Amino acid sequence: MIENLVYIVYAVTALGAVALFVGLPRGDKPQRNGLLFICMALAAGVSYFMFDAMLGSVGGKVPLIVLSLLSIGGALRMVTHPQPVYSALYFIMVILATTAILVLCGAEFLGFALAMVYAGAILVTYVFVLMLSQQSTLHSDAFTQGFDYDREAREPFWAVAAGSLLAATVGAVIVERDWGGIETVAVEGGDNTVALGRILMTQYAISVELAAVLLMVAMIGAIAVARKHIPQAEDLTPRRPLGAAGREAKPY
Amino acid sequence: METLRSTAIWIPLLPLIGSLLVGAIGLRWLKDRSHWLVIGGVALALVAVLSVVSTVVGEAGRAHNVDAVAANEGIELAHTSEHDSKLSESFTIYKWMNMGAGSWLDVSFRVDQLTSVMLLVVVPIGFLIVCYSVGYMRDHHGHPERGYERFFAFLGLFLFSMTVLVLAGNFLVLFVGWELVGLSSFLLIGFYYQKPEAAKAARKAFIVNRVGDFGFALGIWLIYLTFGTLDYQTVFDSVSLAMRFDGDNYAAIVPQLQGLLGTERVPDVTAASALVLQVQDRITWIALLLFCGAMGKSAQLPLHVWLPDAMEGPTPVSALIHAATMVTAGVYLVARCSVIFAASPVAMWFVGSIGAATALFAATIALTQYDMKRILAYSTLSQLGYMFLALGVGAFDSAVFHLYTHAFFKACLFLGAGSVMHAMDGVIDVTKFGGLKKDLPITYRTFLISSLALAGVPLLSAFWSKDEIIHAALAGNMPLLGWIGLLTALLTAFYTFRMVAMAFWGPKMLPAGVEHAHESGRWMTVPLMILAVGAVFAGYVGVHFKSGGFLGFLEPHGTFHHFLEPVFAGAKVVLAAAPIAHEGHALMYWSSAIAFLGITNAWYFYTKRPTIPGAIALASGPIYPLFKNKYYVDEIYDAIFVQPLRKLGRFFFGSDRYGINSLLFVIGNLPRVLGFGLRTGQQGAMQGYALGMILGLVALLWFVLQG
Amino acid sequence: MEMAAPQVLMIVGALLFGIGVIGFLTRRNMIVMFLSTEIMFQGVLTNLVGMGLLRGDLNGQALGIFVLVIAAVEAGLGLAIVVMLYRRRGTLDADGWRTMRG
Repeated sequence: MIENLVYIVYAVTALGAVALFVGLPRGDKPQRNGLLFICMALAAGVSYFMFDAMLGSVGGKVPLIVLSLLSIGGALRMVTHPQPVYSALYFIMVILATTAILVLCGAEFLGFALAMVYAGAILVTYVFVLMLSQQSTLHSDAFTQGFDYDREAREPFWAVAAGSLLAATVGAVIVERDWGGIETVAVEGGDNTVALGRILMTQYAISVELAAVLLMVAMIGAIAVARKHIPQAEDLTPRRPLGAAGREAKPY
Repeated sequence: METLRSTAIWIPLLPLIGSLLVGAIGLRWLKDRSHWLVIGGVALALVAVLSVVSTVVGEAGRAHNVDAVAANEGIELAHTSEHDSKLSESFTIYKWMNMGAGSWLDVSFRVDQLTSVMLLVVVPIGFLIVCYSVGYMRDHHGHPERGYERFFAFLGLFLFSMTVLVLAGNFLVLFVGWELVGLSSFLLIGFYYQKPEAAKAARKAFIVNRVGDFGFALGIWLIYLTFGTLDYQTVFDSVSLAMRFDGDNYAAIVPQLQGLLGTERVPDVTAASALVLQVQDRITWIALLLFCGAMGKSAQLPLHVWLPDAMEGPTPVSALIHAATMVTAGVYLVARCSVIFAASPVAMWFVGSIGAATALFAATIALTQYDMKRILAYSTLSQLGYMFLALGVGAFDSAVFHLYTHAFFKACLFLGAGSVMHAMDGVIDVTKFGGLKKDLPITYRTFLISSLALAGVPLLSAFWSKDEIIHAALAGNMPLLGWIGLLTALLTAFYTFRMVAMAFWGPKMLPAGVEHAHESGRWMTVPLMILAVGAVFAGYVGVHFKSGGFLGFLEPHGTFHHFLEPVFAGAKVVLAAAPIAHEGHALMYWSSAIAFLGITNAWYFYTKRPTIPGAIALASGPIYPLFKNKYYVDEIYDAIFVQPLRKLGRFFFGSDRYGINSLLFVIGNLPRVLGFGLRTGQQGAMQGYALGMILGLVALLWFVLQG
Repeated sequence: MEMAAPQVLMIVGALLFGIGVIGFLTRRNMIVMFLSTEIMFQGVLTNLVGMGLLRGDLNGQALGIFVLVIAAVEAGLGLAIVVMLYRRRGTLDADGWRTMRG
């Protein structure tokens, strides 16, 4: 642990924020990809230093640091890329890098679950919806140049300021705070998966049930929402004015 | 008494249940068979009425016997015998409102002789008219009219309201019934609400009745203020007692008043004398305010304008509500409060004068109208005027008797007019058709019989009642009213047969568009025949056989009057008038002659020499247009009340629109102007809100973590 | 192979969360916005695992499973809503739903 690590954290977030700000799509103006990569490289260098300082003398720390940098870099690129499909691909990169980190840290089950659920299921759905919603523009300019709403970020300055401030604050707290002695995970009787399964089925049994119910409800809800018939303007046939029947009837 | 009570409750409830059932199941499932629900309800109510009336007759008979025995044995029993007081008691259905200090306003009913007579008028005639409506509310092919179920539901509601009014045991329930009949009347007049005239007439009836009801409510309020109770018998007894007070007889009056009103209200002699003086002071106001309500409901002279217009409603409604039952509620009210009215000579004079004025006034208008239903409406006004005339001269029993006979023949006349209207495809103007004698035989015969009754032909029902009234008026201290009555009788005979002659006699004529007139169906003709029988024979309960009487064997004052005697005994005592002597039958012969004179004149003018009426109309100068235009009363009201009110309304509308509205506009726009700055932050963009949220989160985190 | 690097995990989580926030705020494509929220979920999950490592037990990972569940639920419902919105307006632009007159 070195002193003033917190300033390094600030520097990392500041560099990342600059990278994001220059990298965000700017409408019709060309992308500043060169500047983005320079900033990202700078941030990566400082981050490497930061992570290295954090880990101290732990063995085999290089892959962990590299994977962390990959994950963060992928996230940066995902947010800044003007084409949603590429965003999705970078998202996969983030997921895979995170999975690897988790595996490295001994949380194998969670890591693999993450990879399967996100990369395998959720992302496919995203890409599917993406394709579905953009097929109508297959032969238009929008397909090659992207949609205007993809090519222009809204409120980049304030958003970047808010997000980086948040990250910097949280990061500073993580670094500054004395967390006490770091223990290794005490795995009882076997590997991580068995232990996690045991704790889920004992301590979190009710929560698991609830999660299952929640999933089912969400499924039903998703079906109900997505298949709802949207009334079109033509469906609204003109009604007879109020009291028209009364006026037409015989008076006695 | 217990059975009487439990039976009496069902009289109003059964028609109401029928009517509600029509709303519940008739509209959807029964459709054009909905009438069975109401007919069933009213028929069961009729059974209940007959049972109640037979009980009352039995009780009254026993009381009579007791009195007779007591009189024979020389014991002073007066009219407060045991049986008698039972009939004048009201029984509580449930306690309604706590007025504090232990006094309650109850829903209470009272069944006595007067109630019985009213029930016998309302429910049987109501039943016949409901049956008649089954035929009337259909076209010639038997298809029901639009709103058929609604009509029967309203009829049931009306019969409920009217029976509540009649059965009421205190003024509050009476008022509830009073307003309920007003509502039913409004609904039924406006039954053809698509027709603007009908909607207008319904509104007019409702508003004009409000004028009367305003006074009526004030009167009830004054009664409560004076006596602290609204129960009929307590109020009437207190009035009798107060009128008996002569300044000295404290000893006799104070305990009785205490017994009636409670020692809290009458603790001692001072309070009693104060109360008595107050009563004597206010009795005229009470009577006049109550009479306001009666004038509105019974369409007496300044408030009569709604009744002719109410003929826009379906004809059965005109027959039931605006001829036979509801409009007689005013007469019933005055008869019921006979003690109060008798205690105030001013009120009696006022009632009699209004009655006589209305009788003559309406009869003159009826001479010139061409709409059959309107002629009958003015005739109803005139006959109601007779009833009030009778009340005003103290002949309460004669008024109720006339009410009773009038209900039969007038309902029959209206239903006959309805039958003609049905055959003429909705045309009711007597100048557009004529000579229907052959085509509508049953309608013609029943109509003729009822017309003869209305005209006052001897031996028919109205002859007896009308003659009694004229007799009482001539014998009383206002003989002028009697002469007006006689003149009106002549006019009545004339306009009635003018209508008969124009509609049924003479050459046959049909309105354009009507191929041939055909008689109405069984549903309509049977009630007509029953009512015609009533028009002939209903009067005989009011006469008795006596050698040397009219035509040698008939004498007025029969069972009917003896039956009603206990009800009006209190008033007779207060009035302290000598019983009207029915000696000499000269008047009866004279009035017969007058009736025949009117009838023959009408026959001569309108069938033999149809040119005469026009010549008379021309020769009369301004009088004919005056009658024809109903004395311009509607126009005068329009100029005096409606137009100024409308102008006032326009003024307020303008001040609302330009004054208050602009003020509110300023006030309403102030926040908008103030919010203009804040508004730019609320763009409905989700991400904008999220940004704010995140910034807030950052601020919060920083704030928390720095410490 | 196990590595006690809770602080690194937590820093990574914080940075992922911040980037997700920025993505959510700046991108106008609704699908990319949802992807950004998934990134935020990632950050939270990573952070939870780091916390769990600090505590030395498996509660962090168990909670991570639930985050996963919530993320799946959110993805399913969110995409359903996106599909519906897309059918209505024919665009994925979140600003297309700015109907308030600010």
